[in-house]
Amino acid sequence: MSDPRIDLPQGTLDLLILRTLALAPQHGWAISERIHQVSSKALFVQQGSLYPALHRLERKGWIKARWGASENNRRAKFYELTRLGCKQLEREESAWRKLAAAVAQILETT
Amino acid sequence: MWNDLLLRLRSLFRRKNVEAELDDELRFHFEQQVAKLIQSGLPPQEARRRARLEFGGMEQLKEEHRDARGVNFIETVLQDIRYGLRTLVKSTGFTVVAVLTLALGIGANTAIFSCINAWIIKPLPYPQSDRLMVFETHDKKNGWTRENTTSAADFFDFQKQNASFEQTVAWTGTSFNLTGDGPPALVDGGRVSWNFFDTLDAKPILGRTFRPDDDRSGAPHVAILSQGLWQGRYAGDAKIIGHNVAIGGEAYTVVGVMPGTFQFPLMGVANLWTPLALTDKQRTDRGGAWLPAFGRLKPGVTPKQAEAEMTVFFAGLERQSPQTNANMTWLISSMTWDIRRKEGAPELMICFAVVALVLLIACVNVANLILARSTSRAREFAVRGALGATEGRLVRQLLTESLLLFFFGGVAGTLFGLWGMKLIESWIPGRIRGFLINYGRVDLDFTTLVFTLGIALVCGVVFGLAPARENSKLDLNNTLKEASGQATGSKCGARLRRIFVAAEIALAVVVLISTTLLVKSFIISVRASPGFNPANIMVAQLALPKTRYTQESQLRNFNEDVLARIRALPQVDVAGVGSNVPFGGFGQGVEFEAVGKPAPQPGERQGTHFTAVSANYFSTMQIGLLKGRFFSSADAYGSSPSVIINQTMAEQVWPNEDPIGRQLRFGDQHTVATIVGVVNDVKMYQLRPRPERQMYVPLAQFPSATLGFVVRTAADSTTMATAVRDTIWTVDRDQPISSVEPLETLMAVVDAGNRVVTRLMIFFGALALFLGAIGIYGVMSNLVSQRTHEIGIRAALGASPPQMMGMVIREGMKLTLIGLAIGVLAALAAARGLATMLYQVTPYDPPTFLSVPIVFAAVAAAACSIPARRAMRVDPLVALRYE
Repeated sequence: MSDPRIDLPQGTLDLLILRTLALAPQHGWAISERIHQVSSKALFVQQGSLYPALHRLERKGWIKARWGASENNRRAKFYELTRLGCKQLEREESAWRKLAAAVAQILETT
Repeated sequence: MWNDLLLRLRSLFRRKNVEAELDDELRFHFEQQVAKLIQSGLPPQEARRRARLEFGGMEQLKEEHRDARGVNFIETVLQDIRYGLRTLVKSTGFTVVAVLTLALGIGANTAIFSCINAWIIKPLPYPQSDRLMVFETHDKKNGWTRENTTSAADFFDFQKQNASFEQTVAWTGTSFNLTGDGPPALVDGGRVSWNFFDTLDAKPILGRTFRPDDDRSGAPHVAILSQGLWQGRYAGDAKIIGHNVAIGGEAYTVVGVMPGTFQFPLMGVANLWTPLALTDKQRTDRGGAWLPAFGRLKPGVTPKQAEAEMTVFFAGLERQSPQTNANMTWLISSMTWDIRRKEGAPELMICFAVVALVLLIACVNVANLILARSTSRAREFAVRGALGATEGRLVRQLLTESLLLFFFGGVAGTLFGLWGMKLIESWIPGRIRGFLINYGRVDLDFTTLVFTLGIALVCGVVFGLAPARENSKLDLNNTLKEASGQATGSKCGARLRRIFVAAEIALAVVVLISTTLLVKSFIISVRASPGFNPANIMVAQLALPKTRYTQESQLRNFNEDVLARIRALPQVDVAGVGSNVPFGGFGQGVEFEAVGKPAPQPGERQGTHFTAVSANYFSTMQIGLLKGRFFSSADAYGSSPSVIINQTMAEQVWPNEDPIGRQLRFGDQHTVATIVGVVNDVKMYQLRPRPERQMYVPLAQFPSATLGFVVRTAADSTTMATAVRDTIWTVDRDQPISSVEPLETLMAVVDAGNRVVTRLMIFFGALALFLGAIGIYGVMSNLVSQRTHEIGIRAALGASPPQMMGMVIREGMKLTLIGLAIGVLAALAAARGLATMLYQVTPYDPPTFLSVPIVFAAVAAAACSIPARRAMRVDPLVALRYE
């Protein structure tokens, strides 16, 4: 059975997390689920990378965490974007778009 | 940034909470995943299995998290410290030995460093003290330099004309006879230029300092007291300002009181100051250089520029008055350095080098102990390695343990050093303290504390790293397989330990040889005859005031009267008197020329020590007569002057001639006297320097205001002191006596610096020997216990107990000999640095270089024999079964 998942390029996980959180505060599991679904199951974030990344972003002050109740009324830790995080997302998004466009252009012309 | 810090702190201090939250979060994630899988149709058990597979190791995940939290480092350190403390407490014996060893090594450094800090590192207690320069008279032709003296006329001319110095100050130390307001007392102090205090920027606590007017000859007498004198003698009465005190029988008005913190170490102990107020005749005397002087450089003027100005100035004086100034110039030297040299800076630096070596020995010793211990901990490390600890992690753990050990060593060393510095302080006689900055007080201040803990830390890292790296080299398979029955220890560790021991012995030999050389010098200098017999001699010194003793006959009557009364005291064998006595305070010198010899070149003046003595002086002091005769009643007042010279003067002035009957001309009066005798050389000021020229004249012909009565007596010194004091007071009730004490005490005070150094050296030498012996003992004893198995096999195969003992001792001695050889070579190099401090001992003194290694080898052999005997007693059955 071939795995349809592709590896996340270095440094993109932060961007994906920030982007996901831009819609609404989410808990960790929902973030990974959402990335999985939105990417048509191409991307799968390992817990092993997700939580350290979340905590790193929290330390940088781009997201903040608070405890809340999940859909099924369990205690869960919700992460939301801070103002700093919004700006960071904009920066990373535009950087990524430029990069992607550049890479695409190279791939097409050669 | 702020956010980051808060989160980190939270993680650190609310660790439990944070960990629990992490648990909750991950568990939630896991359960969500399981629920999702169940929804997709998997049976619950399979769903759990799949989720767990996806999840990976929970603990590993958590560890990664902790790293992401960024406090893992501190947490591990705390954990290591806790763990380290537990291990140290568990192996009490090891910890106590290691901490004590370090405490001795570090404490010795703390004690010596605190002295260096107090006397050498701290700047002089005057603002901008680096601009203070002392003047020295230098003879360009003969190359000698007289520290801290100038001729008065030179000084005042230079003061008037120079452009380099803001202020120039002359001073002279003296003792004042203080009478009234209590018993007569001799108070040490100085006569100083009016700007003395101002140049040093010292402010009085009461009244004022001197003014230019005070410093004129014939000006109204004024005086400044020290706080100590003011509070002691005058009960701290604020009305003292304007009050008259009697100094040398004359009234002086007190104008100021200096604070207790004011001190001028070049003057020694000083409690009373008067203006210099030289007469015109004294001010224009260019002949004798007797006036100490210093100056404060103008801002921006370098010592070099000032010296250049002096060179030009003195070249002019040479032309102007060649009689006195031919070849003469001044040099300047920083006051700071001048004081520090007198405080024994070179000696202290040698002590410091020695204690540094002792500390190295102690550190190597402890590193060795750590290594030895870790061979028995190899399994612990192997197990930890097997459980996933990386090499770096283990090094960190071991380093933490060593640092803890060194830290405790540092703390214990501070206490030991505190005791040591107070001990050293107590060894300094009161009379010498005046020459030390802050009166020789030594304290454990911040600098010393930082130094102590600093060296503990540095040594902990340096000496903890080697064993830590050695131990963390993991060889899981072998270590775990070997179980408890190690045939031999880790090869590498054992080699390192051997290198350590050899190095330690080498260091100990260097220390021991250096200290032995210094101690030997001291013993030789103390044992050498000073030219007289100081045993059972009491010395009473006093100075008669010129105001009351104006006539020579008064002086003569006083000393004859007192001498007759002292001789009449019970238990006095014999007594004499001199104008000065060896190791006393009143040194005198005169210039002389030999009659019948070619007249000296201008500027080439010959000087000699000068002492006027009573007829019995030589027999009381037991100074030996080499030729001619002693003084007798024939050398009385009015008869033609006679003189006795010492051997050195006889040999220098009349080589290969008989000096008896020859004449010499001396002193300001150009008195001509006939030589009647030659006596042996006598040490006058210090035990070590070469003998100098000395001449004696009859006191009856040359009366003196300064007197030192010498009394040979079998009586107890305190009883005798009182008796002599009372006798003097029966002749003159108002006469203060500077001191009555055994001559041996006077000599001990003068030699106090050497005494302190010698005591320290004996202690440090013994410490080095002891630590070296412990080192070799530790290694050999560990070796034997590690090789019990091997020794058992050998015994079973028929090796005899003496053979086994020999094997261990041979092994130990091999290391010792390597260490000794290296040590002796290093000591040869080190001893060169000691050369200036040695007295009649060459730096390559063969007896020392032979005996120290032999003693060391013997001690090492004894240290090896203890474990060797244990090896001899190894029972093959027990050894082989002992797995």
